[in-house]
Amino acid sequence: MSSPEPRARAVARLIAGTPAVVSLVGALLLTTLVMLAVGVDPGLAYPALLRGAFMDGNLEYTLAAYVPTLGMAVAFAIPFRAGEFNLGGDGQLALGGITAAALALSTGGAGSFVLPLIGAALAGALLAALSAPLHTRLGIPAIVSTLLLSVPAVSLASYLARFPLAEQGTGLAQTPLLPLAAHLPSLGASTYVTIGLPLVAVLTVLWLLADARTVPGYEIRALGANREFARYGGVRVSRLTALTLAAGGAFGGLVGGLIVLGAPYRFVDGALTAPGYTFTAIAAVLLAAGRPLAVPVTVALLTILQAGGQGMEREAGVPSQLTQIVQGLIIVIVAVAAVAKARPSRRPA
Amino acid sequence: MSVPAVELVGITKRFGDVTANDGVDLAVERGEVHAVVGENGAGKSTLMSILYGLHPPDAGHVLRAGTRLRLRSPADAIAHGLGMVHQRFRLFPGLSVAENVVLGAEPMRRGVLDRAAARRSVADLAERYGLDVDPGARIGDLPVGTRQRVEILKALYRRAEVLILDEPTAVLTPGEAAGLFRMVRELAAEGVSVLLVTHKLDEVLAAGDRVTVLRGGRVTGRFPTAGTSADDLVRAMIGRSLATAPTTAKKPPATTGALPTAKKPPATTGVPPTAKKPPAIAGGAPYRLEVRDLRVRDRDGVAAVGGVSFSVRPGEIVGIAGVAGSGQRELVDVMTGLRRAHSGTVLLDGRPVGGARDRRVAYVPGDRAGRATAPDMSLADNLLMGDQRGFLLGPGRVRGRAAALVERFSIRAASVRAPIAQLSGGNAQKAVLARELSRDTPVLVVEEPTQGVDVGAQEQIHALLAAARDAGRAVLLQSSELSELRALADRVLVMFEGRLTADLPVAEATDERLGAAMTGATGVRRPAGESTE
Ligand SMILES: Nc1ncnc2c1ncn2[C@@H]1O[C@H](COP(=O)(O)OP(=O)(O)OP(=O)(O)O)[C@@H](O)[C@H]1O
Ligand SMILES: [Mg+2]
Repeated sequence: MSSPEPRARAVARLIAGTPAVVSLVGALLLTTLVMLAVGVDPGLAYPALLRGAFMDGNLEYTLAAYVPTLGMAVAFAIPFRAGEFNLGGDGQLALGGITAAALALSTGGAGSFVLPLIGAALAGALLAALSAPLHTRLGIPAIVSTLLLSVPAVSLASYLARFPLAEQGTGLAQTPLLPLAAHLPSLGASTYVTIGLPLVAVLTVLWLLADARTVPGYEIRALGANREFARYGGVRVSRLTALTLAAGGAFGGLVGGLIVLGAPYRFVDGALTAPGYTFTAIAAVLLAAGRPLAVPVTVALLTILQAGGQGMEREAGVPSQLTQIVQGLIIVIVAVAAVAKARPSRRPA
Repeated sequence: MSVPAVELVGITKRFGDVTANDGVDLAVERGEVHAVVGENGAGKSTLMSILYGLHPPDAGHVLRAGTRLRLRSPADAIAHGLGMVHQRFRLFPGLSVAENVVLGAEPMRRGVLDRAAARRSVADLAERYGLDVDPGARIGDLPVGTRQRVEILKALYRRAEVLILDEPTAVLTPGEAAGLFRMVRELAAEGVSVLLVTHKLDEVLAAGDRVTVLRGGRVTGRFPTAGTSADDLVRAMIGRSLATAPTTAKKPPATTGALPTAKKPPATTGVPPTAKKPPAIAGGAPYRLEVRDLRVRDRDGVAAVGGVSFSVRPGEIVGIAGVAGSGQRELVDVMTGLRRAHSGTVLLDGRPVGGARDRRVAYVPGDRAGRATAPDMSLADNLLMGDQRGFLLGPGRVRGRAAALVERFSIRAASVRAPIAQLSGGNAQKAVLARELSRDTPVLVVEEPTQGVDVGAQEQIHALLAAARDAGRAVLLQSSELSELRALADRVLVMFEGRLTADLPVAEATDERLGAAMTGATGVRRPAGESTE
């Protein structure tokens, strides 16, 4: 076939040319510049960031943040493969979380954690799937409808946690402690790392396999690559679009359930959406630039950045908001690269 | 001799292991029409892209009127008076004709696009070169032939002095192509230099002044058109002569009633050899495809197809001719199940065609980048579409299947895993044909099957279509190439403004009669109240 030398060169070019690397290097470069500009020594800040993510018992928190971020990344990535944007992650999280709490409370723990998780996933799936008929019947694109539907969903969860499901007598916007049987079993001695980690990991692997090696995965990719081509090839476009949205929503709802069934074992209003898993997950998927296998990696990178941010703030005096700036920059760079690529004057046949 | 208008010197370009151009020299004089020919994948489009600043060459350079250019992007090329019409169009489907034409050089008024001025200057330009386009129409609603005119307008609007046309006539009817070449000669007379890439050698000889032949990325011949024959060109292109002259139609196959003795009986069961001869009475004839009083309205409620009826028998190729936008596209959409008819029926072996893509129809779409392929997906994934069934999909199986098709249809591709967009235009077309022709369906619908493929592959494709017919399939062939219709079809239907204006046995399908029917000059009047105005 070919000599190894040009192949190696081709591989190098491929890697160097990937948007993931471009945007990450670009973002790190800019971060470094920002550090220098505010008078922080990057030589101190970066080690502090890594220590903040991995050392001094911080690894547990980093892992605990990795699980929901990865789940939300898949929630965004599945419809994204079909060319649809699921921006309703917050709503799916909140609705899934409150559903899990309600089921755990109402069954008194009889359904262990399994029933609440299933309910959470279904709630998220239903919410996201609502966007499909809005798209096909009313022409409202999913990017808009998922975001719009997210707002009432978050409010509904909040209302339920404040009134019908609220813990009596405390005045706090939270449900009572969930029955012990519904608590997620921890992994080892950790409080925060639960069986949610292997569960999300396995589901992610299943998604990756489905994407690469099944007919629905193929049809979803075709749909995202060229809708008309998919339609021409006999793909049921509307049905498949609805399916991807539902699958994404199921992941979102499931993550909500996992958070609620973990410590502190109750639905606390605002606790699911405050950490910004949805946004971080979107940044990670965009960073992976159409390569699903890269998603777990980019999620890890951004989680480390975020978890390490606190350590950096403590040790090097860098405001932890810096990590958010980096995330924002990544999205901007990825978007600019995508627009540049989408300009219609690239390559003739 | 004067200084050439443009000159490519020692151009070399590699894509990975593929050397697309290998030390190519090419000079074009002012006012010259210079044709570039070669097999699929010979490097024609690559060379033109380098001239237009789309790819940087690995070696060599470009001279414009004697000075060396640094072309970093098409913007640089445009600034130096170069214009290009691509093999794959680059228009924005959501914008109007006028907006597309002026894009990047918009007439402004108080900081905003002056739509009226844009429309006016585009209309003037179109008028001047006799191009028939409505500046207000949305690109997405226009047939390919018209889109191609818009691309040319776009280059002219920027006052291109060197116009690069990459396979401009691949989907034009002979009338449209003749109009284009009139315009090309007119431009040349005004001093514009034209680079013309095409597979149609008669066009080269009729409209060109000189020809450069590429083979495997190298120049293998330079000819003045005067005194050169198509066969000379073919020999330089492929290193041998073709069995038949490339542009003349092959002996028409089995016209109605006459059964050629040479043809071997069809291989498939159920179709007696005599099926070629349509029975006189429809009662005994099993039609494979029946279209009955079909009406299709487009988005604005205008009748795109206004009452069309015809039938196709097994072992018959029925051709469809007509100027672009006469309703062929809508008709085919309904027959393949991709569009719902307003009224009327399409029956396939007696059962109606379904509301989604009907798997009983193999279909080669004319719109390669928009419908027939997903340019960013791999060649293997593109070759799979339509045959994905069940649940599991082994990547090895998908690639193996693709490799077999690549081999069988001699598609030139570096790898089946690379995006199909990296294939040359003709090879991408062969991939689409490979996918659809290898499918065993009772009906085959083909639009512009040989668009962009070289003369050798054209023969091969024609042979495959004839084989499909001999196997008892019903074939519907839409082509803007009358010689292709005559070479293959048993009957030719002509569409004009959504109706059939002629149904001719191939022996009677002369240029004159087809041409007349294509412009509606058959005396068939449309009923009142169906005006497209
Ligand atoms: N962007 C690209 N990446 C990889 N390979 C490419 C790319 N562009 C062209 N090639 C390869 O370079 C060779 C020449 O392609 P080119 O498009 O120039 O052929 P062509 O002469 O225009 O053929 P056609 O008549 O089929 O349009 C082909 O083998 C093609 O696969
Ligand atoms: Mg080409």
